[in-house]
Amino acid sequence: MAEQNTPPGKGGNTPKPKGNTPSAKDKSRAASRPVAAKAPGKGAKGGNTPRPGARKSGASASAGNSRRGVLLAWGAVGVVVIILAALFIVKATSSNSTNTSYIATTAASSQVVTDVTTVPLSTWNAVGVTSQVQVAKPTILSDQPAMTIDGKSPAMLYYGAEYCPYCAAERWAMATALARFGTWSNLQTTASSLSDVDAGTHTLSFHGATLDSPYITFRGIEQYTNIPVASTPGEYTTLQNPTKEEGAILAKYSSSKYLPNGSTSGGISFPFVDINNAMLFSGASYDPQILAGLSWSAIAGGLSDPTNPVTQAILTTGNYMSAGICQATKGQPGSVCKSSGVQAAAKALGITIG
Amino acid sequence: MPALRWQPLVSLLLCIYGLGASIYLTYTHFQPKALECVSNATFNCEKVTQSPQSEIFGVPVAMLGLVFFVPMLLLCLPSAWRAADRRIHLARLILSVTGVGMIIYLIIAELFIIKAICLWCSSVHLTTFILFVIIATASPIVLGPGYGTEDAEGDLPSQTPLADGLAT
Repeated sequence: MAEQNTPPGKGGNTPKPKGNTPSAKDKSRAASRPVAAKAPGKGAKGGNTPRPGARKSGASASAGNSRRGVLLAWGAVGVVVIILAALFIVKATSSNSTNTSYIATTAASSQVVTDVTTVPLSTWNAVGVTSQVQVAKPTILSDQPAMTIDGKSPAMLYYGAEYCPYCAAERWAMATALARFGTWSNLQTTASSLSDVDAGTHTLSFHGATLDSPYITFRGIEQYTNIPVASTPGEYTTLQNPTKEEGAILAKYSSSKYLPNGSTSGGISFPFVDINNAMLFSGASYDPQILAGLSWSAIAGGLSDPTNPVTQAILTTGNYMSAGICQATKGQPGSVCKSSGVQAAAKALGITIG
Repeated sequence: MPALRWQPLVSLLLCIYGLGASIYLTYTHFQPKALECVSNATFNCEKVTQSPQSEIFGVPVAMLGLVFFVPMLLLCLPSAWRAADRRIHLARLILSVTGVGMIIYLIIAELFIIKAICLWCSSVHLTTFILFVIIATASPIVLGPGYGTEDAEGDLPSQTPLADGLAT
């Protein structure tokens, strides 16, 4: 209020009036705007008008900077586009030389490994051999010599292929059962063939995986990948061949002499599992169809739920396998072999543990 | 100087989508069963989100997405776009360049190491790339002289020489 009462116009730096009435300076500004728009060099003489020469060089520099900035920005975008395009082109080009109609095998996630290897004992026992899904019993042999692999006995041999959907089902049971007797390293995740029945069934792969166990020696052979051979439909690239020793075991125990559905011509059906030459699994113990559409995490994550039908099928098969291993290890370790789930499996199979 | 018109709104919407997708991917990193995604030879979200490359120095990449989109969302608010403080616009530009660098690494990992593409992740990559394009091409405007000042107001032609000449 005091400022409003101050007499106007006594010097250049006095405060501006706050009312709506334009001051002399405002009027001067308004009047000077058209002058600023005059073409340079045409008599722009007003006190507040920039000198023509200075204005021209400032605008020019500003426009130049702006142009440079725009070029730099779009150049950066162009570089990123080129990098991304190059990545996709390289990928597309390299994909042409290798068939991509398969789900690649890679290291299993820590969560999947944890879920598979830490199935609670209470869940094993709750399932026992009770499953809503039909589970086939293995073939029991008697009076056979214990299996020896690399001079170690007892032993367990698995023979399958990554493309095989029946192997996909069987591996979940094997991995969970064997985790009760040792520690897994380098378990892989993969999926069965995308062009076979039960296409793309998510599963584990034993290729490169090892079981460190004081009780049993495990050997897993994945004969073929899930990568189709482009020139021969229905065939897959070779991954791993059995050794001479493994080949002899496979040839002997996959024959019709030991297996009701065994081969008479020397061929072996995938999967084939031999636990110490005393228990044989040929083909899937349960229908892989029940795994359709389930991810690795969904299957592995469900393993702690004894009411889950998939879990029941896996753990029932796993309890049968555990009973077979316990028979081979003569009841070791007791924490596994004396559990009610394993005892129920042994009873159902008519075998004696330790 | 050209005006900023649609960039603030579009960038904000992209940030909201990116943040939502990052929250979902972070959740599914810890709860893989909750992940809903196509699974075939080319696309497999679980394979990507559970791969060793899904973590950098033990930090889930999806969580790094959160670390990217939270500040980016703040920097893409209309008030931030209008700001006269060049540091805000520089921070936005630097963050977007960092983001696009990260997606180049992640695309390399998906295409050549994991050999599977996660559709959810790809949507975040696309979002980050579009954000980068918007921010990079808007930078000459928002980092230009006089942007965000009273006269310029972000979408007005600069009158700096005249304003300077009239200053008292």
